[in-house]
Amino acid sequence: MGRPSAFAQYKTLLAKDLRQEFRTREMLTSMGIYALLVIIVYGAALALTARGIDIANMGGGLLWVLIVFTSLLGLGRSFAHEKEQACMDGIMLVPLDRSVIFLAKATANILFMLAVEVITVPLFYFFFMSGQPVAATFFWVVAPLLVGTIGMAGIGTMLSTITMNTRSRDVMLAILFIPLIYPLLYACVTATTAAIAGTEFWTDFFVMPLVLACGYDVVMLLVCWVLYDFVVSA
Amino acid sequence: MVEKKVRIPEAGQWPDKLALPALAAGAVLTTVGFLMAFLFAAPVNGAALDTPELVNGVMVTHQQLISQKIFYFHMPVAIVSFVMLIFSAYYGIRFLTTREQRFDTCSRVAMELTLLFVIFTMVTGDLWTRFEWGVWWTWEPRLTTYLILMLIVIAYFVMRNSIDDPERRATYASVISLIAFVDVPICFMITRLIPSSVHPVIAREGGMTPDMAATVLVVMIGMMLVAFGLYRLRFREARLAERLQALKDQLED
Amino acid sequence: MNAIEAHNLSKAFGTRKALDGVSFELPEGAFLSIFGPNGAGKTTLLRVLSTLARPTAGSASICGIDLKESPNEVRGLIGMISHASMLYPDLTAEENLVLYAELYGVADPQARARELLEAVGLSHRRIDQVRTFSRGMTQRVSIARALVHDPRVMFLDEPYSGLDPHAVDIFDDLIASVRGDRTFVMVSHDLAKGFALCTHALVLARGRVVTFAKKEDLDFEDFAQLYRDTVGMGVS
Repeated sequence: MGRPSAFAQYKTLLAKDLRQEFRTREMLTSMGIYALLVIIVYGAALALTARGIDIANMGGGLLWVLIVFTSLLGLGRSFAHEKEQACMDGIMLVPLDRSVIFLAKATANILFMLAVEVITVPLFYFFFMSGQPVAATFFWVVAPLLVGTIGMAGIGTMLSTITMNTRSRDVMLAILFIPLIYPLLYACVTATTAAIAGTEFWTDFFVMPLVLACGYDVVMLLVCWVLYDFVVSA
Repeated sequence: MVEKKVRIPEAGQWPDKLALPALAAGAVLTTVGFLMAFLFAAPVNGAALDTPELVNGVMVTHQQLISQKIFYFHMPVAIVSFVMLIFSAYYGIRFLTTREQRFDTCSRVAMELTLLFVIFTMVTGDLWTRFEWGVWWTWEPRLTTYLILMLIVIAYFVMRNSIDDPERRATYASVISLIAFVDVPICFMITRLIPSSVHPVIAREGGMTPDMAATVLVVMIGMMLVAFGLYRLRFREARLAERLQALKDQLED
Repeated sequence: MNAIEAHNLSKAFGTRKALDGVSFELPEGAFLSIFGPNGAGKTTLLRVLSTLARPTAGSASICGIDLKESPNEVRGLIGMISHASMLYPDLTAEENLVLYAELYGVADPQARARELLEAVGLSHRRIDQVRTFSRGMTQRVSIARALVHDPRVMFLDEPYSGLDPHAVDIFDDLIASVRGDRTFVMVSHDLAKGFALCTHALVLARGRVVTFAKKEDLDFEDFAQLYRDTVGMGVS
């Protein structure tokens, strides 16, 4: 009985997460509804002030607030199943590289977050930005969304592994997660805002932040990948 | 597999004898620096104003010149806090490789001092923004970075308090100190490099004159000594608490 | 060759010692029962031997393979049944077994999963989610899960907790039927049951070995008395 390749184990673990989610739809429904609720809160908060051009300037920021809080909800749930019947011990008993666990879980989280964004971004557009002409550059928001989601899912997976063993874990996750992703958030908001506004020199505010966000992703994912063994074995 | 003997830091050895002198020397040097800042270091660009005046299209008053003096404390304190964070991350690595509780204690004590000096940094930085730019808060890169650092350090301690198993607590704390150490420079870089239309990056320090550099150096050495003294004292206290706990455990058996 | 060898195994953090110099040798095919009061280090010993926790000092080997040096090889040789099932409640019994079979790299995961479900008598509940199972049935699937890669050494950590008497009987029969020449190590609070099943007994107190002996050399009454004396607890 030879050991299967790390990639085969990665696929197995990822398929397990997807199958579980497909069966219960727990994370997707809760994240989706939560995102909708945040949009409604925006509706109330912006009822009197924001019109047209204001939204174009704030849209990037508002969109990312929506994404950060929705992701936080999903990430907090991502290890709930592993904890429930000590499944994490079961996985740890298997001869497999610990970073495979990290990569599989992070990939699953990226997919869930992207799935929610596919629904919420058009909804956000529909509720707040459909009343005005779209900048030609609007579709470039996909790039910062993707880069931001990857980084947030990576570090979020690491942090939710830590917080699943703490008291009041959801609050703990938020307290650790938001300051640590601040640089990524800052870069992504700038790039997204530039793409939405699409003014003459929009690339000045788009390319550089995007490159920096990619740099953040690379460094942080590497750090998490290296340190994951310590965290998950503790 | 030959296991190398790990030298474990312990309190009550020779560095502790230096702790109090270091604190005293640090206090003296900081005071000297304080005096130097007002009496020795020349105002930037040789500015000395009796009445409000327009410099580079900005109204400058004598009050604003006082803000320059804050700089002599703000910068050393900020640097010391980051040095303490480096120590915390270093001991974090040592802990992860040796699994020796003592290193976790060191890492924690270093992080406590990081928090202390970050708070100093925030206070002096905020005074600076108030006097220099006339606002209580601005999302200026350095201030933002230190705010984020402060929040991470606070999160570090909140997390420590919410875990019961000491080994797990130590592991997670070490990992968080390492992530913080990586995250903070990135945060500074990103907030600094990204052009912002709303809050332009204010970069107008144009090198330091020798008298300014001397003043900064004196305060910096003073602050380093203070940090060292506080670290040793706090470490000794933490060790005594640990030994007390160990004795209590022994009594129970 | 011995199935398990432990030399001076210690697990400490700071000054607190969960395990303090545990040494024993267990021949292959033996059934070891570990007894001791709460906090004696039974579960810690099991977690160290099953690579879930790192020892601070000392060494141990499973079937001649060193725990610290090649943990992944050791993991391929051991299986664990605990009071928690380690099964995903939202997946079916078969999906759970296939998942573990694939992770361990078993040749034909589907066939292996069906074969094991047959062995634990749950073929008819193959496509039901584990969430819908009773405690006893879950524990049977858990046995199948632990056997998926045909381990040489099985660890049982309080496997009876939460089982009704009937389920306990089924569990015992199953364990007997899968016993083969495998080595078993069990942690249990049930002194009589643990003693009845075992070939070797080990009593732990405060992380140290109080007694380690073959069952032939022990009389249950004497052993129970010794257990009460050293451990200061009644027979549960």
